[in-house]
Amino acid sequence: MIDFKEHTLANGLKVLANYDDCSGMAAVNLLYAVGSADESPDRTGFAHLFEHLMFRGTATVPSYDTPVQEVCGENNAFTSADYTDFYLTMPKENFLTGLWLEADRMRGLNINAQTLEVEKSVVIEEFRQRYLNRPYGEQWHTIREMVYTTSPYRWPVIGLTPDHIREATLEEVRGFYDRFYVPSGAILSVSAGIEPERVFEAAESYFGHLPALPAPVRAEVQQEPLAGPVRRVIEAAVPADQITIAFLMERRTERGYYLCDLLTDLLAGGESARLFQHLVKQKQIFSAANAYITGEVGQGMLILTGQLCSGVSVEQAEEALYEELRLLAEEPIGEYELQKVKNKFEANITFGELNVMNKAMNLGFYSMLGDMALLNGEIDIYRSITAEEIASYVRTRLTPQRSATLIYRKTQQ
Amino acid sequence: MKRPPIYFTPSPKVPHATLHTCANGTRLYTMHNSNQGVVRVSFIFRAGTSWQSVPFSASATVNTLSEGTERFSALEIAERLDFVGSYFDANIDRDWAVLTYCSLSKFAAETFEIAEQVILHPTFPERELEVYRTKRKEQLIVQRSKPDHLSRELFGRSLFGADHPYGVTSPAEAYDTLCRGDVEEFYRTHYTAEGCFAVLCGDITEEHIALTKAILEGLPNGPRCERTIPAPQPTLRATLKVEGAVQSCLKVGLPLFPRTHPDFVAMQMVATALGGYFGSRLMQNLRERNGYTYGAYAAMINLDRSGYFVMSADVASEYTEEAIGEIFREVERFCAEPMSEQELQMVKNIIFGDVMRIFDGPFGVADVAIENIQNGTDNDYTEKLLRQVADTTAEHLQAVAAKYLRPNHFITTIVGE
Repeated sequence: MIDFKEHTLANGLKVLANYDDCSGMAAVNLLYAVGSADESPDRTGFAHLFEHLMFRGTATVPSYDTPVQEVCGENNAFTSADYTDFYLTMPKENFLTGLWLEADRMRGLNINAQTLEVEKSVVIEEFRQRYLNRPYGEQWHTIREMVYTTSPYRWPVIGLTPDHIREATLEEVRGFYDRFYVPSGAILSVSAGIEPERVFEAAESYFGHLPALPAPVRAEVQQEPLAGPVRRVIEAAVPADQITIAFLMERRTERGYYLCDLLTDLLAGGESARLFQHLVKQKQIFSAANAYITGEVGQGMLILTGQLCSGVSVEQAEEALYEELRLLAEEPIGEYELQKVKNKFEANITFGELNVMNKAMNLGFYSMLGDMALLNGEIDIYRSITAEEIASYVRTRLTPQRSATLIYRKTQQ
Repeated sequence: MKRPPIYFTPSPKVPHATLHTCANGTRLYTMHNSNQGVVRVSFIFRAGTSWQSVPFSASATVNTLSEGTERFSALEIAERLDFVGSYFDANIDRDWAVLTYCSLSKFAAETFEIAEQVILHPTFPERELEVYRTKRKEQLIVQRSKPDHLSRELFGRSLFGADHPYGVTSPAEAYDTLCRGDVEEFYRTHYTAEGCFAVLCGDITEEHIALTKAILEGLPNGPRCERTIPAPQPTLRATLKVEGAVQSCLKVGLPLFPRTHPDFVAMQMVATALGGYFGSRLMQNLRERNGYTYGAYAAMINLDRSGYFVMSADVASEYTEEAIGEIFREVERFCAEPMSEQELQMVKNIIFGDVMRIFDGPFGVADVAIENIQNGTDNDYTEKLLRQVADTTAEHLQAVAAKYLRPNHFITTIVGE
């Protein structure tokens, strides 16, 4: 349970505050409503590149990290398909430094040709480290391309190719900044042993003078249902054969999202879950198997995946995954198993609220979703899901016709 | 806008654990440090991989403890823990094996019931062990196709020697001959009252304390185990070719000493200055100025009977030699002149901040306590560490770096094309 108060500044900046005096730390989170889904198809990876540039200093603060470190703070950021998140923690006495820094770089960023060039090469190295220099590295590029034929979820956050990053120009960077990094496109959230009224006052004094620019206009991500089955096979020097089946699912705030979340927990949430017990331990078809949802705000993906034990054929492994889906569709799960996954959600929510950073992040995320009731209300949605509802979802939605399958076959070395 | 004033945190008080000594000599440390309805208990054994004589027997033991006990099958254990949403975690390093259970306070009794079975009455069923061996072997093969994993292994071997307990890596085929007897023997000799302790934290009650004590008091007084940790036998330069790699995984460092050594804290500060934070010298040079890498790091690593200094970066293949050159130059520069007061203050802030952040949430403090107890101290150590960090001068760091960071003693490993 996260208590909070909310306040909106005249320039459109939303501010949320949670009081928590469990530790001496303060968490400050600044979420910008822009992600890779807002990119143009020939400049993919741009939102993430821009996240890096946000650390390149302003006229007032030449190096963002220095003042953070001077107050014993720590900071980082990430970019997703739907939003970009900047977060920092510091001893709560110094939380004003956090607000000062974020307000300063919201409008005062100093971007020049040289910083852009260095940041491009850093991001290209990140691209290589995460997507090129490891086995199965191209899998998300491939799966997204198969599933998202008509939407910007087609490219991963890192971008389609390092070339798009290389080609980004200073003008494009400045245009992006003015369009998205504005008070009305941002959400500030704070969790600390500080009264919400004090947080709001501080927000007024550090962010209040920033200009009220137009709120970013964002197109809702829409994807046509998959006309499948879609299949692709990659032969590569990978350590083991691998199969990944992706299904297009519902938007983050729709009931189907919670069904899929619970469904993947039945399959892979913990040691006793079905995929691990049936396919890894009993039948020994996979050395590792997993089921999860990708969690976008728009239509995300439900993923079933596993690495095959040597000697097992891809056909056999694929059939085994579908057999698990058939089981779910034909034999409604028992009360006990359903209760188990629901308990797990309750425990996870409690464990997830033990530190200020997670709480500040959650406040920002649910505010962006546009439904603060979900912040503390999702547990009730999970509790309301019935066995029949799950069976019916699997029967109608998780069928081969609605799937995209990527297979890796190991080449003989 | 004007910059807000900086408030400097007065030296933070590190909460202490309360010691309860059990009838058989095992120690239970408790910290009541949360009212958020969660408890966590960790059982710590001197049962890390350096204690094993048969490859993979130490990790197989800790990882299969939950695969069947006198009262419960592997599936029942998993089911019971999952049903109440509890977490179980088995962790092993070169020196220690740690079993941790985390649960909502209202389900602590159900969770402790499982912990008691797992720790005191495992049966290591042959069938479960077979599955474990097959699976782990496959996973290891997958791991060993990744340059970063290969780099860690190669560096360990080069640092200590290919047969050294802190450096050895075994071929995946060694799983084929690992048998149930090896695991039972390792359990019998290393999961005993000798050297075991537990740390209980969170929203704890007398009942939780009693339940934990009951488990500890069930441990037999086994034989005192010995192990031989010979002097490191370093190899100065080693490379491993990975076809088609677009990056080279670099590691540069040398064996030094454990945390009990008087210069450990100073070397920790040296490592922080070189590669312990975003503004560190290696990060600024390799990432910010040259764009060779996404990240460069340095650290002092503590082992029970040794320790080492390491710098690492995954760099663009075409700049491998340049990057190594820059790493050596940064060390040379560090040893040649004292850092500015400003940089020194920054390093101190980083270490202070890292310690402060551990205290956000109830489990971090317990983790600090575990590490301190493993090293034969208590949470006083952490307070002293912060005082020592605060009192260190730039000249001292320069002198310590010059004493230990001799480039001709450096071990360099490269994994890539």
